Amino acid sequence: MGLLEIFDPVAAPRPIGIDLGTTNSLVARMRDGAPVAIRDCDGEALLPSAVYYDERGQVIVGREALRMAPAHPRDTIVSVKRLMGRGANDPETARLGTIDFAAPTSPDEARTVRLRVQGRILTPVEVSADILRRLRELAEDEMHSVGGAVITVPAYFDDAQRQATKDAGRLAGLEVLRLLNEPTAAALAYGLDHKKNGLFAVYDLGGGTFDITILLLDDGVFQVRSTGGDSALGGDDMDRALGRVLLEHMGAAEDASPEVVRLALDAARRAKHALTDREEVALELPRMGGGTATATVTRAELERLVAPIVERTGVACRRALRDAGIEASALDGVLLVGGATRVPFVRRYVRDLFGREPLADIDPDQVVALGAAIQADLLAGAGSTGEVLLLDVLPLSLGIETMGGVAEKILPRNTTIPAGARQVFTTYADKQTGFELHVVQGERELAADCRSLARFTLRGIPPMPAGMARLEVTFHVDADGLLTVKAREVTTGIEQEVLVKPSYGLSDEEVERMLLDAIDHGEEDFERRKLAERRVEAERILIATRGALAADADLLDASERKAVETALAELTVAVAAGSANLVQAKIDALDDATKEWAGRRMDRAIAHAIAGKQIDEVDATVAQARGVDEQVAEHQARLPPGARSSQTGPTGEGS
Amino acid sequence: MTHDPFTVLGLEPRFDVDLAAAEVRHRELSRALHPDRYQGKPAAERRMALERAIEVNAAWRALRDPVTRAEALLAAGGVELDERAEPKASPALLMEMMELQEELAEVRGKRDAVGLRRLGDTLRTRERELCARLAPAFAAARGDAARLRALLPAVGELRYLRRFFEAYAAAEEELAA
Repeated sequence: MGLLEIFDPVAAPRPIGIDLGTTNSLVARMRDGAPVAIRDCDGEALLPSAVYYDERGQVIVGREALRMAPAHPRDTIVSVKRLMGRGANDPETARLGTIDFAAPTSPDEARTVRLRVQGRILTPVEVSADILRRLRELAEDEMHSVGGAVITVPAYFDDAQRQATKDAGRLAGLEVLRLLNEPTAAALAYGLDHKKNGLFAVYDLGGGTFDITILLLDDGVFQVRSTGGDSALGGDDMDRALGRVLLEHMGAAEDASPEVVRLALDAARRAKHALTDREEVALELPRMGGGTATATVTRAELERLVAPIVERTGVACRRALRDAGIEASALDGVLLVGGATRVPFVRRYVRDLFGREPLADIDPDQVVALGAAIQADLLAGAGSTGEVLLLDVLPLSLGIETMGGVAEKILPRNTTIPAGARQVFTTYADKQTGFELHVVQGERELAADCRSLARFTLRGIPPMPAGMARLEVTFHVDADGLLTVKAREVTTGIEQEVLVKPSYGLSDEEVERMLLDAIDHGEEDFERRKLAERRVEAERILIATRGALAADADLLDASERKAVETALAELTVAVAAGSANLVQAKIDALDDATKEWAGRRMDRAIAHAIAGKQIDEVDATVAQARGVDEQVAEHQARLPPGARSSQTGPTGEGS
Repeated sequence: MTHDPFTVLGLEPRFDVDLAAAEVRHRELSRALHPDRYQGKPAAERRMALERAIEVNAAWRALRDPVTRAEALLAAGGVELDERAEPKASPALLMEMMELQEELAEVRGKRDAVGLRRLGDTLRTRERELCARLAPAFAAARGDAARLRALLPAVGELRYLRRFFEAYAAAEEELAA
């Protein structure tokens, strides 16, 4: 037992890390400088990602829900992660399972898969939000106040799947600080724990998804070199393969009811687990039409069934090695993550593939959440982990459909994020007044074979001969791996800007409505929550600004400093008062007052990074003896011209 | 391109740039500018850092690839980059590329992994030789637009090789699957 924590009603909210898994989920936090999993009242850290909806609208998550699954297979949703960000006609909906999918009533509805549960229609985002809400409650039981969460996602999740996960977090009332790739999270926890440097592969085979990530660990920097995977490949597929065999034993190969399918899949999972340590397992199964059948499954048989599934991971691994420009022999270690890596066949396969024994001194179930907790702590500025930095990549190429249905890649896969690129397109017909843009993600040559993220039309272009108009498209990928697209027509002088967030799945309005629905007491509570959120943000900004004053006040002249201090004081007063809008207004005012100063401080940080520490230390001494302006001017003179401007746009490549 | 990648990374503009040093510089700048470092900071500051971080990442990406690296040096010297206006590829180069394409189609058809690897080695050697030729040429041009323009055919050749390399990588993937 740990020490009893004394309840402090005004304790600062602390961030959490969440592994939202296909089979199990888990929440972790930092305690005394080390990440720990948060346990429920039974001492369990793993929360099964199962949600049962009863006829009265009650929602039960976790082990309790799993217990309901055999009797209520339609109303107990498991492995919902496999459906995140997917459309109604996705092949994923056709796999062996017990979910009752609702047929879409419009093309718009078809963009997201919908589940029929107890007469209600639910989206995967809502089901995931129910799991996240339960995790948030667990964290609140222990910590009283949760201030932001890092949620992990498979590295190979595309934009729609990431957006869906972020929406689920919002819906669960979490401030999502960052979406973090699962293999990177695992590497973070492992690397900090073992203090190792070198080139590592993280092989992450979970319940529903597979990721392979090659990354370099170098004194606190975790730089992803390449990533690959399959967001529909995992332990669930092993269960399905064995489940089909068991259904035959039960005489129910055709037209099995959801109850029977659930039973077969659960038996398959138990057999798979048992065969980790045993050579053979006997299963008692009910036969259709009465009686029981005893099925004996050997490890050899299981391995024959899972081999084709596991071999699919090899293709992705070889590609990731190629993308990283290395041979397997150059690796310093292979980390195994995810419950499915417990299967002995998987371990053997990984060993043969990489020519080395994988590292097994980590808990494959917990390591991702622990890494997320570390990252959450870093982002919240608690800083107990010092000079740690994660440099992740875009898993799948982003592009635009051009003439002939070809997908032109604008940002290639494995580009370090955040990333931006700009490309110029032109009209192909005379007097064309509109541009249709189709944003796609994937590696295939034809746009039709890639994931469609968004379509939009830029209108109002004056009629011009073909090839005259110049349409500039800018892609922006943030540190969550989420894309924003901007387009404008530049020759006509009429600048049009369209801002597009890929809308595959739920629209912003839909999420907003669900958010309101989720709050029982409506408007008033919503207002109160908004205020709480604004306050948390204000507190953070106050701390950041005071810290900046302590470090870089020399970059402000007297009047600027006064303006900053006034804005600081006003925000402090506003936080104590009770209006979300007022707090926001004062945040904006402080933002304004510190804008130019922020640019100078950034220039200083860049100069520091380029010139090394010594010069900066000299600067600090010189600065004390001199006027501020002189010092600033000198700083700027030493910087290369590109680093000087405070209004740089995203750098584009291409034509 | 908004900014010259050499300038962004604070490196001396040269074709045979020390990539290991550039990687370290990229990492140091990322430490200073990555959005993770600006979480909880005022919005304007976050936006500014994000744009700088994007710029730093783009610069590193540009320097790693010899084609974009060459283009950056040309652009810095005031040479306008417009493939359509550049000198046409020589018949000898076109012939060579056609022969390579045929060879690729053949090994692809026969799923000949050894032949494919040999073709890959040929390509890499070819690119390495071309780069070795370009490095002193860029240095000798000393940023002079006219002398840089004389390098356009060689840069065009590099582009051809790079495009062919993409086709080669696709074939490699196909054979691995």
